[in-house]
Amino acid sequence: MTIQSRPVCFEDVAVGDEIPPLDKGPFTTAHIMRWSAAMENWHKIHYDRDFAVNHDKLPGLLVNGSLKQQFYFEHLRKWIGDTGWVWKVTFRFRAMNLIGEKLTMWGRVTGKRECPDYGIVELDLGIVNEEGTESSPGTGTVALPYRGGDPVPYPFVPPA
Amino acid sequence: MSNIPEGAMDYIGMRTSEEFACEPVEPGAVRRYAQAIMDEAPIFAPDAGTDNRFGGPVAPPLFPQAMFRRAYGDPDPVQENAYNEDFDGSSGNRTLALPEIRQFRGFGVLNGGSEIEFYRYARYGERVKVTSFYEDIVEKQSSKGPIILIYIVSDYFTADDELLLRIRRISIRRPLK
Repeated sequence: MTIQSRPVCFEDVAVGDEIPPLDKGPFTTAHIMRWSAAMENWHKIHYDRDFAVNHDKLPGLLVNGSLKQQFYFEHLRKWIGDTGWVWKVTFRFRAMNLIGEKLTMWGRVTGKRECPDYGIVELDLGIVNEEGTESSPGTGTVALPYRGGDPVPYPFVPPA
Repeated sequence: MSNIPEGAMDYIGMRTSEEFACEPVEPGAVRRYAQAIMDEAPIFAPDAGTDNRFGGPVAPPLFPQAMFRRAYGDPDPVQENAYNEDFDGSSGNRTLALPEIRQFRGFGVLNGGSEIEFYRYARYGERVKVTSFYEDIVEKQSSKGPIILIYIVSDYFTADDELLLRIRRISIRRPLK
């Protein structure tokens, strides 16, 4: 996915629109170690297969939820550009993603409403692997500028 | 019969005072973070101009939650647990400035998800502080047996009390028997 050539405006979006997907992976233990080091989080279920499988009774080494949650913000920011704002993201980790999986972020517009300074757009979001299994359903809320209007105020001020 | 250990519910409502991250937003830490999440956006780079609408180079949205690391000289849980076969490698809830719920030691830990509100990027060089509280502890049945959900709310601010983000986390504990 590439960044939009022009910022997305509120008027550009319709309920039911699918936003461009974002691919990540396939994930290797090197990806996970790099993330663990960046976070300084040494939870063994992400890199110690014996501990993950035999101690914690997991099916294998897990892709960190803390890593996957980053992708929601990247996905939405790359879609709307820097004149909009990613206000809210919610997600539940319903299934595990294991080392070796390739993940795809998806999003679909479910609602929109006008506010005085910008428009609000609601989305369903999720993460599927190559088999199409949904692991992390969620929702997103972004603020978009009106066509010809100013960027969304920064720092972001939520609607009254 | 409840799988929530005795005394664990006493943590509900426990709230921390403001705690500053041990270091400000460091360019090197931002680079490693951005590379690890594979999102090397220009706004996160050190040469991002101060004339952009964010006031200069900024850290990725969720970077503040990674800033609450073990401070220099603090006890080292990795070494302290070097002979503990049950130590899972995590260091409790240090990153949230909350005390660990000791009753859940020996339980499996999983990330259940979050609800995040994002208001402002943390800029290079800024100090960040957090306050957190245990909102609730709930037992549920999953397809693999009982799980316990711990709801934790954290607010991240700049030193000037500007709200950066609010995260409501769901941390899962699984009895391992």
